[in-house]
This record gives sequence, structure tokens and C-alpha cells, in this order.
Amino acid sequence: MTTNPSAEAQGSRIGPPPPFDPELAAALEIIREQLPSSFSIEMIPALREGIALSEGADLDLTRDGAFEVEERTVPGPQGAPDISLLICRPTRAAAAVPVVYNVHGGGMVIGDNRTGVGEMLDWAEELGTAVVSVEYRLAPEHPHPALVEDCYAGLKWTAEHAGELGFDPERIIVAGASAGGGLTAAVALLARDRGTPVLLGQVLLCPMLDDRNDTPSSHQMAGLGVWDRAANHMGWTALLGDARGGPDVSPYAAPARADDLSGLPPAFIDVGSAETFRDEAVAYASGLWQAGGRAELHVWPGGFHGYDLMAPQAALSQDTKAARLRWLRRLLEN
Amino acid sequence: MKELAGRLAALDPDAGAALQVIAYFDRLIEGRAGLESLVRGAAVLSGCPARLVDEERGVRVRVEAEGTRRDDGGPLDPAWPSAPLTPDGPPAVWLERTGVSDGVHAMVLERAAAAARAVLDRTRGRAPAEARQADPASVEVLLDAAATEHARRQAAVRLGLRNVSAARVVATAEGGPLVEAVPATGDSTPTTGGRRAGIGPAVPVRDLPASWAAARTALRFTAEGTDQDPGPRTVYADELGGLALLADTVGPTTEPVPDVRALEHAVATAPWAASTLNAVAFSTSLRAAAAELNVHHSTLQDRLVQAEHWLDWPVQDPHGRLRLQLALVLRRLHRNAAR
Repeated sequence: MTTNPSAEAQGSRIGPPPPFDPELAAALEIIREQLPSSFSIEMIPALREGIALSEGADLDLTRDGAFEVEERTVPGPQGAPDISLLICRPTRAAAAVPVVYNVHGGGMVIGDNRTGVGEMLDWAEELGTAVVSVEYRLAPEHPHPALVEDCYAGLKWTAEHAGELGFDPERIIVAGASAGGGLTAAVALLARDRGTPVLLGQVLLCPMLDDRNDTPSSHQMAGLGVWDRAANHMGWTALLGDARGGPDVSPYAAPARADDLSGLPPAFIDVGSAETFRDEAVAYASGLWQAGGRAELHVWPGGFHGYDLMAPQAALSQDTKAARLRWLRRLLEN
Repeated sequence: MKELAGRLAALDPDAGAALQVIAYFDRLIEGRAGLESLVRGAAVLSGCPARLVDEERGVRVRVEAEGTRRDDGGPLDPAWPSAPLTPDGPPAVWLERTGVSDGVHAMVLERAAAAARAVLDRTRGRAPAEARQADPASVEVLLDAAATEHARRQAAVRLGLRNVSAARVVATAEGGPLVEAVPATGDSTPTTGGRRAGIGPAVPVRDLPASWAAARTALRFTAEGTDQDPGPRTVYADELGGLALLADTVGPTTEPVPDVRALEHAVATAPWAASTLNAVAFSTSLRAAAAELNVHHSTLQDRLVQAEHWLDWPVQDPHGRLRLQLALVLRRLHRNAAR
């Protein structure tokens, strides 16, 4: 079960925004020139264009031959188009390897299966895992449940073809950042409720979990940083239309809506203290613990949304990434 | 950020890149970022490892181009571009690159060095005296007995007194107080910068307000050391003994006792009176006083006859000498106002 830490409930006790970490604030100064805090739906085509220009092409997915990379078309959800999976397998694996299943971010409206895959490959190189990254349909052209069902279909196919791909079906970890973190949590709920596959862990990085968009942190950070309250409103509206924030939103769309968080795989959750998603991420971790689950929560002081991707050199980003890697290592070695 | 670093490395310097460099360091300064962040900024913005080396303060920070700190980088290469922390000082911030540096690299160096200087002055103090003056606000808090203990502890840390067992205050005639660590063993000469100074007792850092009060008292017993204002330029509070009590009762507005009036009269009458009487009062013998004054013994005798006439008391017997010593000391207290 979860509670919505809504701003209304907190009344006037919401203080000023927490300060950004000094290094991150300096980086934000530069990032801001390329990326506004808020987006409107009309900006989506331009954003997609911008992302296409900045990502993907020059990314060496093979890491100098450490990975064998293929793009595989696999069946989508019932009655829906096929989906594409980016599959990166370690070339030097002797036995079945664990697999990190990446659900990319992008506010439900942008991004592709290259987005954010760099860090997953860092983990894979360090821990000897494979990486599978799913290309899911995007809102607003494709509203809920297209996105989460695509993600689930790709996950199910990966588990079912583990033997053929050289994966250990007992050790599948789902992971995603931002909207990808929300979809990752949703996929974990689906896998639990449908009984398959059984997941080893879920990694929710600054996850987008709550369509109500009304936590104290979402109010505090309005107009500040990256992906503020208005941008978040846009993203959820693209996914849910008029249902956004209403009484009938499925937990498979917004995992913060789940009444039952029992029986989920161990979770790693991290988030910055100076971002929209802080309170919903903390609430989700609390919900997991209250349901008797295992979760490790990191709230990094002064982090804005996606700071580790946009300012990877900052000390806080380095610590953030190190903590993820340590958790994954413990998970895989136990 | 990655994109920016790539751009700076690849592009000709242009106003846009320079502005971004300025904005980046300005925000770091605003956020009171530490040295490592500054060096990391220099490294990432210029796309090569960067170093900060300040031998005087024992600071060495090295950060790789992608932002990882790695201090073991081998020797410095004089061919690398560098910038000093102070205009004519030794090179302190380095970019580990060879070949032609462009305007953006120069801008990175300049901004990083300026920011590093501010942080170093704020966080580590300077090795000698200037640094303690560089942060008068912290000194003020440290010496203010009414400030909270927490604020005073923070100020001590900023002044580099975190792990110091004893410290003292030097009160100077011009300029603010100086706070300096006192080594547990061996003598240490107080830092006075050549100014008249009262030296407070060495105390634990938390008791520095008391050392400051004592130092101010000691300062009042100092003199310019000139012919017209003879006496010691440096006075230790520890060595005042019972004289310290006089400081509480005598000030510029106190009515002078007749001995002091007589002394002032003598000093006003003959240019040699002040230095001569001071030498006689505080030397071990008349011979030593004559040597100190660089006059013949008989000249000194003549002067004393004249002076005793003006003062109207004998100055060579023990009681008269004490009266003379007290009159000279009281004269300084009248002249040196409490601060």
C-alpha cells in the first residue's frame, strides 16, 4: 500500500526548495541553455528531433568488442505491432549470464532504446551481465497501456528466450530511469500479477511514479531544475489524457496508485532531493517496506532530475553511480 | 556537460564558450563549492586533467578529464599552461595539455585560479599573518565571547585552528587583532608585522576572547619606542603582573596624578627628557642607561640633576625609581586609550 504525500495535505508547511549541489548548480547553468525546465506537448516533435541528434549514432555499443550487439524484432502485446529489442551480450561469457532489462526514460513522450543504455553497459562490463533495451511506443500517439504492455512483452520474450540467448532466466533485473523508472516499477507489478517472469530485482532511478503530480517536492521545484511540475503534467497528460490525476488511474500506469506492494522483487530506488520526483520516490520505498519488501533508497542531496546523466563528472554523480553498482553487485553475488 | 567539454575541446574559442566558463565558475563560487569541484570544473571544461598545487598550504588536487579525482599524476610539466593564485606568485592551477592553448583554456585557468584563491583563503587561511587578516569576520566571531559556541568553533575551523591546542591574540595598534597558533614547545615569536602590539596569553581556542582582552590591555603598555615616546613596542600580557590593574583605573580622561604632571612638564621642557628618564628608570645601572642613550656618563649626570629639579623627587634611590617607573607607565596608559 502507498500513501500519496500530497502537497495539499502538507498545507503551508512546504518550505523553499532545497539548494542544488554546488557542482550540479554550475552544470545546470550550462544545461539550461539546451534544456528548459518545462515542456509543452507542442514541443514534443522538436524534443524528439533533438534527442535523435544527440544520442545513439556515435555510441559504441560493443565497447570495443566486449559486447555482441543485435537488434531483434519480437512479438508485441496481443493484437499490437511487433517491438524491437536492442540486445547486448558479453562476448566472453562462459556460462549463462544475468541480464539487465532496460526501460528508457523520456517523460513517456521521447527517447529510444539507446537512451540511457550507456550506464547499463557500464554495469554489464563491471558485473558481466547482458543488457536488453526495449523500444516501446510513445505517448501521446500511443496512450496507456501501450507503453507498459510493450515493455512487458519484451521482458516476457527475453525470459522465454533466455536459454537461446545465453541468459540466466533466474537472474533478470529490470531497470530504468525517470519515465523508464516508472515503467520499470509498473512492469514489476505486471510480472508479479501475471506470475511471470520472476524478477531478481528492480532498479528505479529517479522514477516517475505518480500521475497526481501534487507532492510537496513537485510544488517546491516548480520552474526549477530539469523536468519540473509543468513538464510532469505534460508527460502524464500525454499518457493518460483526461484521466490524469483522476480516480481511475491504473497502478500499471502510475505505480504510486498501487494498493498492494507486497511480493515485489528487491528494489533499488534513488532520487535527488532537489527534484520533482523526490517525495513520490520516497513514498514508494516506504510502501515497499510497509508491505514487507526489500528496498534500498538513496536521496542524494541537491540533485536535480537526471543529474547523473547530464553532469556525470560531478562528485555527487560519481557517488550515485557507485552506490548503484554496489547494490547490483550485492544482489548478484547473494 | 559532456557535450560542452567536447565542444570546448573541438571548437575555436568564441564568446559563447567563454561566457559558459564564467557562468560555471560563478555558480560554483555562489554555491561555496570546494577545491575539488573547482579543479573538476577546470578539467571537464577544458577536456584534459587539471591540477591545483599550493605548496605553501600543502594542497594538491588532481582531477581527470571525465571528473575522477586521481592525485598521483606524476611531475608537473613546465610546458603545460598554468595560472598563479596571486598575480606574481608561483603557478598553481595547471591544465595537463601540450600544444597551443586558446582563449577558452586561458579563461578556464584564470577563473579556476581566482575561485581557488577565494576558497583557500576562506577554508585554510594563509601560512603567515596576512591570511588571518584576510578573514576579519571570522576573527571577529572567534573573539566574541557573546557568539554561540558553534559559530565560534566554525570560525576557528575557517581560520585553520581546528586542531590547535593553544592559540593567542595579538592586538596591534593599527589594524585588527591577529589570532595565531602557539606551538606547545619552543619559543614562538608573535606576528606583529612591525607594529606596536600587545600579546595575549596562550590559551585553548575556546578561551580566545580572554586572550584578546588581555592583549588589548598589554597594548596599552606599549610605546612607539621613539625619543618622545620611549618604551617597548611589544608587551606580553603574561609579564605585566600587578601593573595590569593600573590599566583598569587609568585612561585618557582620568585626572593624572602629580607625578605624571611633573613628568609631562619635564618632557615638554627638554627634548631629551623622555628617553633619558625612561632609560634611567628601566636600565640595570646608570652606566647601562648612558650607553643606551649614547651619551657620556657625566652628561647623563647633568641631565638627571636638571630632571630631578623639574620632577621634584630623587629618581636614583629605590623609592624614587619606582615613582619614576610608575609615572612613565601611567603616562603610556593616559596616552593609549582602551580599545
